[in-house]
Amino acid sequence: MSRVMMQRKDKPKPQQQPLKTLWRAVIDDHPIGLAWSPDGNLLAVAGVSGPITLHDGENGAVRHSLAGHTLDTMAISWHKDSRILASVGQDGKVRLWDVEAGTQTAEIAGGASWVERVAFSPTSDCLVSAAGRKLRLWNIGGDLIREYPDANSTITDIKWRHDGQQFAISAYNGVVLYDPTQPEPLRRFEWQGSTLTLEWSPDGSYIATGDQDSTVHFWMTETGQDLQMWGYETKVLELAWSFNNRYLATGGGTQVVVWDCSGNGPANTKPIMLEEHQGLIKHLKFQHEGNLLASGGNDGMLGIWRVEKKKSALLTSAVFKDPIAGIAWSPDDRYIAVVDEIGTVSVAQL
Amino acid sequence: MMNTVETRVPVTVLTGFLGSGKTTLLNRILTENHGKKIAVIENEFGEVGIDNDLVIGAEEEIFEMNNGCICCTVRGDLIRILGHLMKRRDKFDYIMIETTGMADPGPVAQTFYVDDDMQQKLRLDAIVTVVDAKHIWEHIDDSDEAKEQVAFADVILLNKIDLVAPEDLDKLEARIKSMNSMAKIYRTHDAVVEMDKILNVGGFNLDRAMEVDPKFMEPEYPFEWSGTYELAAGTYEWVMGAGPDPVMGMAVLPMANNGMAAQEAGLMDAVLTFAEAEQAVQAGEMLHTGKGQHHQLVLNEDGETIFKITLEQPGFYQLFTEHHPDEFDAHLCSADAVLDPLQTGEYKPDHEHDEEVTSVGITLSGDLHLEKLNGWLSQLLRVHGQDIFRMKGVLSVRGWDERFVFQGVHMLFDGRPDRPWGSELRHNKMIFIGRNLDRTALEGGFRACLVS
Repeated sequence: MSRVMMQRKDKPKPQQQPLKTLWRAVIDDHPIGLAWSPDGNLLAVAGVSGPITLHDGENGAVRHSLAGHTLDTMAISWHKDSRILASVGQDGKVRLWDVEAGTQTAEIAGGASWVERVAFSPTSDCLVSAAGRKLRLWNIGGDLIREYPDANSTITDIKWRHDGQQFAISAYNGVVLYDPTQPEPLRRFEWQGSTLTLEWSPDGSYIATGDQDSTVHFWMTETGQDLQMWGYETKVLELAWSFNNRYLATGGGTQVVVWDCSGNGPANTKPIMLEEHQGLIKHLKFQHEGNLLASGGNDGMLGIWRVEKKKSALLTSAVFKDPIAGIAWSPDDRYIAVVDEIGTVSVAQL
Repeated sequence: MMNTVETRVPVTVLTGFLGSGKTTLLNRILTENHGKKIAVIENEFGEVGIDNDLVIGAEEEIFEMNNGCICCTVRGDLIRILGHLMKRRDKFDYIMIETTGMADPGPVAQTFYVDDDMQQKLRLDAIVTVVDAKHIWEHIDDSDEAKEQVAFADVILLNKIDLVAPEDLDKLEARIKSMNSMAKIYRTHDAVVEMDKILNVGGFNLDRAMEVDPKFMEPEYPFEWSGTYELAAGTYEWVMGAGPDPVMGMAVLPMANNGMAAQEAGLMDAVLTFAEAEQAVQAGEMLHTGKGQHHQLVLNEDGETIFKITLEQPGFYQLFTEHHPDEFDAHLCSADAVLDPLQTGEYKPDHEHDEEVTSVGITLSGDLHLEKLNGWLSQLLRVHGQDIFRMKGVLSVRGWDERFVFQGVHMLFDGRPDRPWGSELRHNKMIFIGRNLDRTALEGGFRACLVS
C-alpha cells in the first residue's frame, strides 16, 4: 500500500461559457435520488419524504408522481430498458414501478426496516437490494433469486461492473465482489475502516472507494492490490470515473481532487486540483462519453469542468440558493440535471 | 469554526443499565406535552411514528476509525441514520439516542466529533444516565460500563429512590460525585423529572459544577491546613494530642513577608516539600525549617506529643499540616503561651482517591497561549486519551475577546469561541473526568500553557 499526499496549488481563472437552462421544476422536498432513464426520456427525482416524480426530459412536465415509500425513500435505480424504476425506502420495501402506467408492479421485502440501496444490472433483468446487512438479488418480476449471507455490517453501497458480470458492495471492512450467478462471494478487498461508497472504473480494472476516515482507496481488481490516498479534509462520498478509465474525480473537501490513472497509475503522482467551490463538494459526475466533469457543492455551486492533464479548467458554473443535492448527465451527455436541497430541479444545456 | 447563532439540532444521549428506568424515561419524554418534535433512535428494530415524533430502531455498529486516533471508535449506524434525518423536510427539534444497557457511551459521543456533517448539523446537548439506585451497587465496583456511564454523564437520574433508604441514597450520591463532580444529579421515582432538567441543558456546565461543590475547582493539595505566624528567634513547641492517625506530615517554611505573593510562593514551596520523601520525627525531636523538609511526625500512642522548633531568624513562618490541627488538638506554643496564627488556610485534601474514576477541576487566572494549549492537549490526549473520558473548559486565550469553550471525548476535542467576556473576569476553568488522573501533572501542564 502506498500513500500519496496532496498539495494545494493555485490556478488562474478561466473564461466561462454560459449554461442555458432548458427547464426548471420544483418538487418541494429534499431530493435524495436523481436519475435519467437510460433512453433519456424521463428524469426521476425522488424526494426524501417519499414521492418520486417522473419528469419529461425535454420540458420537465410531470408524467407521473409515484407514491414511493410511506416512510422516507432512500434510493432509486432504472432498469436498462427504461420501463421499470426500482425504489427502496424506510418502509422496509423494494418497490418496482411501471413508468408508462405510473403504477407499482411489485412490492418486496428488503429484509430490514431501512432498505438503503438498490441497483439494477446494466445488462440483465436482475436487481440487488441492500437493507442493513441483508443483500438480496431479485428478478424484474420481484421474485427473490437469492439471499446472500449477511454482510459484516450495514451495506453502504452496491455497484455493478459495467458489463453486468459482477457487482460489488461496500461496508465496514472494505469491498466484497459477487458474481450474480454464484451464491458465494467472488473475493473480498479487506480494509479495516468504514467504506462508504465505491465506483468501478468503466473497464473494471479498478474499484475506487471513499472512506469515513478521509481516505480514498484504489483496489486493482486483478491483483487485489490497494492504493490509499489520504490528505482529504473530510470523509469521501463523492467518486466519479471518466469514461476512458483515466481520471478518478474525488470530493472529500472543498476542492475536487482528480487522480490520473494512466501510465503507472496514480501512485506517487500529484493529483489535479480543481478549486472554485466555497463549501464542501457533495456530488461529482463525469459525462458518459466525454471529459466534462460536473461538481455540486454545499455552496450551491454547480461547476462544469474540463478535465485534462495540465489544462483543466472550469468551463461554466451556476449558483443555486441551496446546497446541491444531486447531479446527473443525460445519457447522451447533452444535458445536465441538477437538484438543490429545497427541491429545485433544473435541466441545462452547455 | 465560528458558530455564533446556534442552528444545530440538539441531541441527548440516554444511557443506563437494563432495568434502570431508561425506557420509562423515554416514554415519558415522548408522551409529555413539551411541544417538541422528537426523533428517537433506539436499539431495537421497527420504526414507528408516534404523533409528531418518530422512533427509529438502530442496530449498534461500532467502527474503529483509522484517522490517527489510536483507539477512536464511532457509531457508524448513527452517522447514517442522523445524516438521513437531517435531510427531512419536517426537521426535528430534538433527537434522543438510547444506548443499550451495557454500552460504553464513548463511541456515541465520539461520533459527534469525527463526522463533519454531524458537527455542522447536530449538537451533543447532554449525556443523561439513569441509575437504578437500588441495584447500581452490584455494578459500580466492577463494571467498566457502569463507571463509564456515570463518568460520561452531564445529568444523572438516581431512579427508584422509593426502594432505597435516604442514608443509602446520600452514600450513593457522594460516591457518584467523587467519580463525576460535573454532572447534575436528580433523585427520581419512576423517572419523573422536569423536561428542562434533561433536554436542552446546554453543553458547558462548568458554572454548575461550581454550584455543586465550591471547593471542587480548587486544586487539591497534599495538606489540609496552613497557619501563618510572626515569630521571634527562639525555641517553640508543636504540641499534638492523639488523633485519627498515628502519624502526620508537616512542613515549616520561612516567608519573606506576609503579602499575597509570599503566601502563594509558600504554597508552591509546600507542595514541592510535600512531594519530597518524608523524614520521620519522634517525640521531643527537632523540626527543621525550610523547603524540602518534609517531616512525618510520629505521635505517642497516648497523650500529648511535643516537637521542637528552633528559629534563628525572626520573621513570618508558615506551618503546613497534612491534617487539620483541630483533629489532633494541635497548637504552637512559645515558652509561656499558646500562639494563634495570624491567618490560616484550609485546603481540599487529595487523599480521598479511592475511586479509580475521578474528576479533576482546575482554575487558573491569566491568559493562555493557544498554540501551547493545543500542543499540550494533543500530547496529553495522545498518551492519556484512553483514560480521559471527557473534558470541558472555558478558557481565556490571549488575543481573543470571546470566551474559548471546548470539550472533548477521549482523544477528540473541539474548541470554539463563545460569547465575549465582557465585564466578566477573564479566567480559565477546565475539568477532566477519567481513570487514574494525575492532578499534579494536569495542573502543571495546564499552567505551562499560560502566557508567561
